[in-house]
Amino acid sequence: MEDKKEDKKRDKEEGSVKSDGSAGDPRIIAFVCNWCTYSGADLAGTSRMKYSDNVRVIKLPCSGRIDPLFIVEAFKKGAKGVLISGCHPGDCHYISGNYHSRRKYAAFRDLLGFLGVDLSRVEFSWISASEGNKWVSVINEFTAKIKSLKSSSSDIFKK
Amino acid sequence: MANTDEKLQKIAKDLLEGGEVSLVIGYTKGSIPQRMRPVFITKAQDASRLSFSCYAVQDLAVFLKKPEVKKFGKIGIVVKGCDEKAINALIQEYQLLRDDIKIIGMECNGIIRQNLADKGEAAVSETTVYDKCLICNEHTPVLYDYLVPSENQKLNLSGNIKPYAKIEELDSMSAEDKSAFWKKEFDKCLKCYACRQACPLCYCSRCIVEKNMPQWIDTNIEETGNAQWNLIRAYHLSGRCIGCGECERACPVNIPLMLINEKMARDTYSLFGNKSGLDINAKPVFGVFSESDFNEFIK
Amino acid sequence: MSRIGVFVCWCGSNIAGTVDVAKITEEAKKVPGVVTAVDYKYMCSDPGQNSLRNMIREQNLTGVVLAACSPHMHENTFRKAAVKEGLNPYFVEIANIREQVSWVHEDKERATQKAIDLMKMMVEKVKRDKPIEDVRVPLNKRALVIGGGISGIQAALDIASGGVEVLLVEKEPSIGGRMIQLDETFPTLDCSSCIMTPKMVEVNQNPNIKLYTYSEVEDVSGYIGNFKVKIRKKTKSVIEKDCTGCGECWNVCPMHKNVKSEFNMNLSERTAIYVPFPQAVPLVPVLDRSACLHFKKGGKCVKCYEACGPKCIDFDMKDEIVEETVGAIVAATGYDLMDNSIYGEYGYGKYKDVVSGLQFERLLSASGPTEGVIKRPSDGTTPQTIVFIQCVGSRDPEKGVPYCSKVCCMYTAKHAKLFAHKVHGSQSYVFYIDIRATSKGYEEFVRGVMEQDGAIYLRGRVSKIYEDGGKLIVKGADTLSGNQVEIAADMVVLATGVIPKNGAGKVAQMLGISYDKYGFFTESHPKLRPAESSTAGIFLAGMAQGPRDIPESVVSGSAAASKILGLFSKNEYEVEGTIASVNEATCVACFYCQRVCGFNAIGPKEIKDRSGKIIKVVANVNPGLCTGCGACVNACFSKSIDVKGFTDDQIYAEIRSLAI
Repeated sequence: MEDKKEDKKRDKEEGSVKSDGSAGDPRIIAFVCNWCTYSGADLAGTSRMKYSDNVRVIKLPCSGRIDPLFIVEAFKKGAKGVLISGCHPGDCHYISGNYHSRRKYAAFRDLLGFLGVDLSRVEFSWISASEGNKWVSVINEFTAKIKSLKSSSSDIFKK
Repeated sequence: MANTDEKLQKIAKDLLEGGEVSLVIGYTKGSIPQRMRPVFITKAQDASRLSFSCYAVQDLAVFLKKPEVKKFGKIGIVVKGCDEKAINALIQEYQLLRDDIKIIGMECNGIIRQNLADKGEAAVSETTVYDKCLICNEHTPVLYDYLVPSENQKLNLSGNIKPYAKIEELDSMSAEDKSAFWKKEFDKCLKCYACRQACPLCYCSRCIVEKNMPQWIDTNIEETGNAQWNLIRAYHLSGRCIGCGECERACPVNIPLMLINEKMARDTYSLFGNKSGLDINAKPVFGVFSESDFNEFIK
Repeated sequence: MSRIGVFVCWCGSNIAGTVDVAKITEEAKKVPGVVTAVDYKYMCSDPGQNSLRNMIREQNLTGVVLAACSPHMHENTFRKAAVKEGLNPYFVEIANIREQVSWVHEDKERATQKAIDLMKMMVEKVKRDKPIEDVRVPLNKRALVIGGGISGIQAALDIASGGVEVLLVEKEPSIGGRMIQLDETFPTLDCSSCIMTPKMVEVNQNPNIKLYTYSEVEDVSGYIGNFKVKIRKKTKSVIEKDCTGCGECWNVCPMHKNVKSEFNMNLSERTAIYVPFPQAVPLVPVLDRSACLHFKKGGKCVKCYEACGPKCIDFDMKDEIVEETVGAIVAATGYDLMDNSIYGEYGYGKYKDVVSGLQFERLLSASGPTEGVIKRPSDGTTPQTIVFIQCVGSRDPEKGVPYCSKVCCMYTAKHAKLFAHKVHGSQSYVFYIDIRATSKGYEEFVRGVMEQDGAIYLRGRVSKIYEDGGKLIVKGADTLSGNQVEIAADMVVLATGVIPKNGAGKVAQMLGISYDKYGFFTESHPKLRPAESSTAGIFLAGMAQGPRDIPESVVSGSAAASKILGLFSKNEYEVEGTIASVNEATCVACFYCQRVCGFNAIGPKEIKDRSGKIIKVVANVNPGLCTGCGACVNACFSKSIDVKGFTDDQIYAEIRSLAI
């Protein structure tokens, strides 16, 4: 309970220490699976590759755990782009998590698009633990794409 | 019509008399001729109250999720083809046992839109029925224990009327225009959740909107929460909605919810070949996957 | 009330060079719930870990966040340190500010801002951590091996030698599998039954092995450590414990010309009461009721009963279901050959002298229908010319299977060699696509067949076989010379592709393990966990996984056994506590969670009132099977299932901490 109160208080103070999240400096949230994409991003690090710093990574056990509803919450909290990334089909650490999620993402993406969310802001990728370079290019290209979008092309989840 | 009602009443009477069911859910004539309302028959002699017509708009399957109905055990229910698909979906999702239900299927050639019926419209035609009737392939229910044939003429489709035409229109719009359209619609939402209450497939005892660890959906009436609610409602029904249209009919502020439901039904069909509620033995579309599922949107 | 400590690691200059660690520390102190924040040169060093431990103790911390290297590096290190101070290990969270910040970004101010964001994210996550206890599953230290071929036998013997009781279940009347059907084995030409029968006898004599032949596993439920198994002992109509295997019964059986011998690949006949081959283990006949006169003609024939000294024939015997509990299972169901008749152009089934590789093995075998003398099935004469065709069905995506059956190149070479040795002056031709001879001694063996034994290898396919004047005319292409060839052969041997045992798919479904599109069982990881199935406690061996030769099958049997002995070396199996759990109050039992679970970890649970009446059914997570992947959470509409360590509440808090 105490924590909840604190959260509310903190929420009010929000904004002062954050990057501005404007079109020129968009906030991108990436939901990634622990086994493939997170390790791929680590590999980019150990290989000292450089990429855009707009992305904030949230690690989950599996893309099967990445609920499409997270995308909505990310947009509501000001993200300009959301990336979901997991293991390639057939490589899921948990056998079939990515297959089940892929179905949901395909439908959810259609729904978002129908309701007027600019689908350029939602990216999906399969990145394996050995694809540090793919992680770098996906992040760089996605960031560039988001930056190129008109700042007015917002969405229904953000006031 | 009288003949239809007699047949229907006989079936219900026999079911109740024979003890095969302890409750029959059906329609009865309302206080005005253009309105039919649900009726719950527990005694054989009351079966004569049952009736059916082109005004029988409500999807009675919605009652099957209610605990006060469930306690009757074996239940008979009067359904149109569209409503019956809800029963199939409930069976697929383990909410109902096939053996616990006697389906009295009504052959249906279209239901007159309520706003027209209230003005006295009595003719079933492509201009007077719901859009769902125009795309209906189940005028005869796919599953039934008893079938009451219709005495009405088949619905004649000229092809000039495009059901749910707004979907194509929206699909061709820019993201901004679509966003503007839906923002206007969702701004009206009161969060009364009538859409949920009217839906036969919204059977959760505690809805996601009532969960607050985390707070999935902002429940105060601000438009961001409104959009979130409407999106999540539609997402939870994607690939499941059987298109009865009750959510839209229940909406007090006339949000065109069926556009979203129908859009998702079309998309899940084109993506996964799935149509909801047609086969009680089929696995629900989001309970399975195929290795060759649509992958083009993923880098 | 949370009391969180934040520890910012410099990692020398690895982090501190690009990120302002002091600023992170300052910002951390401002986050509600954080009571202390420090930075240190190397948090993973002993002094670093000690400062962490001291702080937990002195500040009474309820959770710690390390802004440091990737959790894949040192999460365990810091968890262990925290545990020493009595903190639950799952109250340690890592903000990855090295691999995902300092090493990949250059702008110090922006990198620092990102590091601060990640730190705050993890503070919000750790605030919502709940203590998680690892799950301990008790182990029934008994094992079940399904399949009594060489890999199953090897697994059973190895497990038994570790002092663990094993149940070995074999569908056929005798163990031995495919290997006991073979004549000699490549490349050493050991006689297969000479090396196999001692192992079979060992199985029968080992006090730790309980042998169920002519039996099938009918149902498996439960999970690692506690599988409940139902075994159907098909009726043998013979009282096993009394039978001496003397053979009087099958010697008098009048039905000696009516049933094809499965063991001899239909090249000979057997009686209705029979042992499949003389060295069968156990040496106890079974009575095939579908062929027996007693059962076909209303009980008149009782010849075997009369001949039996110990009177152990029992016509009234029934199938028996045995229930056993085991802690681990080896699936070694083996293989079958593809149906050759799909290749109409080769005339299999039409011409008696076109045989499969396994049939040829039987013709070579001293215990076979011809007692090891190669004779044509059609007229019993000795062939002088044999054409061998490789890749019949294998590597043929159009009609057969796309994969290589792996053993055919070698057994064909062996066949050619044995033919040359047994029939002097004979000639063999081998049609092949490629020669795959990649193990120890294999290439030399094939070379020898070509160079010393004079087999003529033709690279190409056979287009047609037809009979003409007692000969089989084989028409094919020699793609190396570019010529069409026509060979008048006395016999043709087809090296038929290998497929999973008929019914393997059913076994996989029963066990809840995954299998590929051909029906071969799939490994938990193709490289690093080749002996494990996708389900904890179930291991794989032999050709059931895919084509392999005898040494590989033996190795895989031993590998499965060693995994089981390793598992059984402890009294309990420990599962990470980060598994799913159900909110039973709001679960409506739609079982979407069960549908998406790749591990069969979710099932129904009945909730009863005090009088024992079922009030409702809810989903239930089996901790022995759950891997904590969270697919169920994603599938639940009412959010009535969550996965510990990655709860929805935590993820939302992480997202919200990033609010702009």
